[in-house]
Parts: sequence; structure tokens; C-alpha cells
Amino acid sequence: MSLFMEDPAHFSKSRLKSELVAHNVVLPPVKSRKEIYVDLHLKHIAQKNAGDFSSDDEDQENDLAAKEEDAEILVQSCLTDDDLKAVLLKHGVKAGPIVASTRALYENKLRRLQQSEGQGHVNGVEKGVLYSDSEEEEEQGEQEDGESGSEGAKEEIDELSNQAQQGSSQFPSGTHSAVSNGGSSISPQQSFSITEMVQEMEKRKSLFSCPNTERELNGSNVQEHWSRFNRPDTPIVDTMKNQSPYYTPKESPYKMKPSQEPVKDTIKEMFLNMEASPTGICATRRRPIKGAAGRPVQYIYPDSPTTIERREVERRLVPIHIQILVFFIVACLLYIIYVCVEENSFNPFVALLDSPGQGSESEEGLVLQAETQVTPVISRQE
Amino acid sequence: MSSTSQKHKDFVAEPMGEKPVNALAGIGEVLGKRLEEKGFDKAYVVLGQFLVLKKDEELFRDWLKDTCSANTKQQGDCFGCLKEWCDAFL
Repeated sequence: MSLFMEDPAHFSKSRLKSELVAHNVVLPPVKSRKEIYVDLHLKHIAQKNAGDFSSDDEDQENDLAAKEEDAEILVQSCLTDDDLKAVLLKHGVKAGPIVASTRALYENKLRRLQQSEGQGHVNGVEKGVLYSDSEEEEEQGEQEDGESGSEGAKEEIDELSNQAQQGSSQFPSGTHSAVSNGGSSISPQQSFSITEMVQEMEKRKSLFSCPNTERELNGSNVQEHWSRFNRPDTPIVDTMKNQSPYYTPKESPYKMKPSQEPVKDTIKEMFLNMEASPTGICATRRRPIKGAAGRPVQYIYPDSPTTIERREVERRLVPIHIQILVFFIVACLLYIIYVCVEENSFNPFVALLDSPGQGSESEEGLVLQAETQVTPVISRQE
Repeated sequence: MSSTSQKHKDFVAEPMGEKPVNALAGIGEVLGKRLEEKGFDKAYVVLGQFLVLKKDEELFRDWLKDTCSANTKQQGDCFGCLKEWCDAFL
């Protein structure tokens, strides 16, 4: 069986480097000899590979990654609530209470995170295999891989964008910096790329999802996000430090009253595992319940159908009164004008004066009388 | 501003009280029945689940999908409805 075990001394130096990085082994100084890499490889990786034999190197690596995933998935069901919470926190996810109804969701989330990380590992190792010994060839190889890998990168970017849309605003910014870091890590300048890679690998652990970390993007800029690739590493490292791990979306402002301190302490005791981040413990000031204890309720949609109808009816009622008033005023005016014109006939004027303002009906009756008297007057004039 | 349905407006306009789960935006007859079978017979129970998931959109959408096989639009409508209700009354 040992025949199938490949002798790491036969590996190339760069291959050894990438494998060590994939297994999270601290790399020796850059200018160390190949033998040192081989020793490290034998020490760490040979131990892991004990018992895992396959004919092809790539299959072996894939099997390793797959078996790690399987192991993790098996272990997931054995995790206690607290352990699951801790593991999620390691991936940068601030989990809420893990209850019967939420446990399955959080397990799924963990699985997704681990799969995406596992994919990153596998891709990185495969890329390492494609590299050859000399630096010149590596540069050429990188460029070729960049162009060929762009298509594959596009698919992963689509996944990324889908995840980003679903997730909170922290998602895309985190992945941008992570991806740009991963892309920039494999730079032609070999002297400090390895240490940078190690630093970024460690930092990537703190972020929850970084697929596509070691893809080649020198020549092909797939999206605008990748344009940050060619910048020097230090500012990108700083932005990564500023990225806080994913926490619950801050929809409403957190209002902490000083009187809430005793409550806050008990909550802290309840959630000992949670990090003391600025927004870690969500003890918000409870806004008074609207509609209770005589407080006025402010509806967002106040215009219910009944109120609209009431308003329309009211609108109609008021003008009606005005219309009646105007009618009476006009009638009186007309009558007075008629009376003033007809100065000859005093009798009807006096008679009318004797019976002042008896209401609308009487006034109408008077108007009718005036009209009837008009005709005899006209006849008299003729 | 994105348009909200009449159902959304009606739900967000007042405290939910004992409204059935069908009253939630995005939850119709079929989804409502599925939720009721799982034990979520009132809107406030779904609200409880929403709050336990800390009002997180992704988790709540996943939960809806797993529980009653809601599609993306239905998930979004329900989430938005509950979120707005919480902003107004919680």
C-alpha cells in the first residue's frame, strides 16, 4: 500500500509550498531549501494522509477535502447548541438562540459556509498543481490560468452575487476585500507573497465565506470589484481588519437607556458565549406600545374606507347650507329691487312691510303675490 | 418606493391581534394551510419565529422555504410585512 504514497521529495518546491498552505502549516522562510519543505510536508501532511491512499494526487486531495466535509457534516449533528453557536461564531456568523425550530436552519448555514470554504481550499490546491518550477513559467502559467479561469470565476461570482443579495450589506464588502486579497496574494513578486498568503489565510478564517480566493485575475477583470486586485497589499489588509464579522442587520436604531443596566447584566449572564461587540447584546429600549394606555395610535395608512366616506359626506353637507343661504339672499335682493322700481304702487309695498320675514315659504309666497300684482300693474299702465 | 399590496397595508395598519396566518402578505390559502399543519396557526406564531431568528432576512426566508415551500416573492412579501409591522408596533 505504501507504493501508492507519493514521495514528497519528488514534488516541486512550489507544490510543497501550496500544499503546506492548504493544510494550514506555517511556511518556513522564503529562501529555505526544498528539503525543509519536504520535512514539513512529511511531518504534517503525512500524518493526515495516514490511511488515505489513492492513485492520483488530485483525487487524493479531493478525497481529503470531501472527507473533511463529510466529517464536519457528521459532527454537526452531534454538536450541542452551544458548540454549534461557537462554530458559527468562528465563521463570523452571529447566531441567535438555537432552539428546536432554528437549529436546522443554523446547521444548514454552517454546512453552506463549510462547503464554500472547502471549495476554496480545493481550488487553491489544484492551482498549485498547475504551476511549474521556474518563476518565468509560473508567471506565464498564471496569465494563462487567469484567462481560462475567468469563465469558472464568473459562475462563482454569480453565486457570490446571489448570496450577497440575500444576505446583509456586510456580505459583498466582506467578499470584495477577501477576494481581492486572495487574488492579490498570488503576485509575480515571490519574495513576500508567501508570508502575505499565510497572513491572509489566517485572516480568511475570521471571515465566513470566501470562495474563489486563489483564482487568477491578472489579465481578465471579470467585474468592477476585481479592479482592486492590483493595489498593494497593505491597504487591503487594513480594510480587512476594519471588517467586523457578520452580525444581525441593524434595521432599527439601538437605544440604550442608563436605567437598563441591571437588565443588561442579566442578559450578559444569559448569553455568556456572545462577544461583547458594540451591538452584541440586543437589549433595545422598549418603545411604548402604541394604542395602549391612552397613547394615540399613529397609523401608517390612516385613510381607511370609512373615514374617506365620512369626509366626502361632510364636504357635500356644508356647501348645501351655503347654497340655501345664497338662494335666500338673492331672492330678497330681487324683491327689494322690484319694490324699489315699482314706486307707484304703495299699497302692495306697505302690505308687504306689514308682514316681515315669515320664512322661506312665506317669502316665496310673497314673491308669487308680487308677480301676480305685476301683471295688473302692467295692464294698468297699458 | 416599492409597491405594497393591499394585504400588506391592511396587516401593517393595526396590531395583529388574533389574525390568522392567512392575513400575512405573501401567505395565501395553500401556504397558510401548510403553516397551520406545522403548528403556526396564528400570525403571531409566525411573528414569534421571525423574532427568534432575530429578524434576519436570510434565515427567515430559509425557514419559510423549508416550512411551507414559499417561493422567493412570497418569502419577500412575508418578510417585508412582518418587518414593517415590527417597526410600527414592536
